[in-house]
Amino acid sequence: MSENHESGSLVKTLRPFHVWALGVGIVLVGEYMGWNFTVAKGGVLGSLLAMLVAGTMYVMISLCASELGSATKLAGGPYDWARLFIGPGAAASVGLAVYMEYIALEAADAIVVAFIAQSIFPELQVFPVTLLVIALLTFVNYRGVVAALTLNFFLTMIAFIAIVVFFFATAFGTVDIHPEYLFQGALPNGMIGLFAALQFGPWFYLGIEGAAMCAEECKHPSRAVPLGQQAGMITLLIGAAMTLYLCAVLIPADLLGVSVYPLFEAAQNSGVFIFIALLGLGTFLTCVASANGCVCDSSRSWFALSRDHYVSSWFSAVHPRYNTPYRAVIFTVPVAIGFAFSGFLDQVITFSIISGLLCYVLIPFSLIRFRNLFPETTSKVRPFVGPLQPFIAYFAIAIAITILSTLFWGYKYNLIFGFVFYGIAYFYFSYKHKTSKAENNWAEMGWPEPKGSENARMGMEVMGVGDE
Amino acid sequence: MLETNDPALESKYHSKLNGDTVLVIGMLVLLVGVEGFVLYKVLSETWEIAENFFSLYVIFVGLMVSIEAIGCLSVRNSIKNHMLEFRYYD
Repeated sequence: MSENHESGSLVKTLRPFHVWALGVGIVLVGEYMGWNFTVAKGGVLGSLLAMLVAGTMYVMISLCASELGSATKLAGGPYDWARLFIGPGAAASVGLAVYMEYIALEAADAIVVAFIAQSIFPELQVFPVTLLVIALLTFVNYRGVVAALTLNFFLTMIAFIAIVVFFFATAFGTVDIHPEYLFQGALPNGMIGLFAALQFGPWFYLGIEGAAMCAEECKHPSRAVPLGQQAGMITLLIGAAMTLYLCAVLIPADLLGVSVYPLFEAAQNSGVFIFIALLGLGTFLTCVASANGCVCDSSRSWFALSRDHYVSSWFSAVHPRYNTPYRAVIFTVPVAIGFAFSGFLDQVITFSIISGLLCYVLIPFSLIRFRNLFPETTSKVRPFVGPLQPFIAYFAIAIAITILSTLFWGYKYNLIFGFVFYGIAYFYFSYKHKTSKAENNWAEMGWPEPKGSENARMGMEVMGVGDE
Repeated sequence: MLETNDPALESKYHSKLNGDTVLVIGMLVLLVGVEGFVLYKVLSETWEIAENFFSLYVIFVGLMVSIEAIGCLSVRNSIKNHMLEFRYYD
């Protein structure tokens, strides 16, 4: 029996380790850099709480994404879930949010790769190296998703192993640590810092939901998506705890809060050459892996938006030889370059976080709607049944809104701009698709009609609306 | 779970399922060990400050690990239930 319904002609070859590589590859960069702003806000204790609160939210989000991804098996991920179970306005907002989240991250990653390359070879210029990185990764994704994600697997594995080796060497006493740094930088800004640190907690895991976006290209999505996604989530939880400990005992908290490459700096402070080399390599590779995964996910989101006529359907073409959404892949180049050289990189990254948090409200909400519309548990509709639902979906929404609210400290205007941008998208696409949108063809997906649709249809027929 | 008339196939599938199970359980054990180690080290060094809101850490680490463990168990059950139906390991 096949579990794949007809849905375009993307090649279906990916396995669980590709899903792991896509999810962890995008996110692991956040453990090499960025997460340490939690320390600047709330000290070591604030950072630890932010890591645990955000970790709890992401565990719940990843379970929602596993259930939705293995059920729908579509390339758009959060966009397709919102389209099927909420409506066109929410779908367009989520689709654009996912696109912006990943493409902004790709731009940031490419710039960091260029800066690292320049620090090793000072004669290099940042601008052409950034262009080269974006062009190379686009080419890899153009040629095929298997090659792109296999590359990601090796890059990510090396970067993760570097953290694990450094952690165990430190835990077993190979490296001289400074436990006093933990107390000195425990809670510099008091209880308000504990709360404010939450806004950077997502850095540890930002983008893991993107692992489910390759469901349409998986050989067995009902195994690959839940297994790859949960393995990825555990990897990130382990990596986050190791990273926090290593940096907190090797870098004073006041320096850690403003460090650009905290893990690399911790390795430098250890004074052991092999760790300096390993973590330097890890920083570089994780940026490449993240940018690579972002090209994959942002192009799938744009492809899905195009396939449903939210944007020009010209982008929905699939390459006849490589079976990739090649026009959507190529279109990431000008947008990423635009973001990269806008001169507002910190604003771009903040916009990426706001976009991600919007998704974390709408993904669990999509799951709640999915459960209401399709309560039956059959192999066709819901091959993976997530546990503790819908309670953890409601809890995840509550945490996402709480974290979103903490952005009010320091990022008030970014938050307002984000709400205005996605609000306009919501109302524009709700209006545009109110008249033109055909009903979802559940039968084409091999699904029954959703709960309540019979009553609605009968009501329409009584009112004389329908076939005529 | 579907059954087939091919004992060799079923044996191969159960062996592969055990591989998936060992992978996930191994990662969960590592997760519990690492989280426990890091929490113990950080909270013991900062106990004078952290004791005021120690319960917050316990609640969230408990939630995080237990939900993830239950989730992994569900993934394993799902694979077991559908592995023959969808031919996961062919």
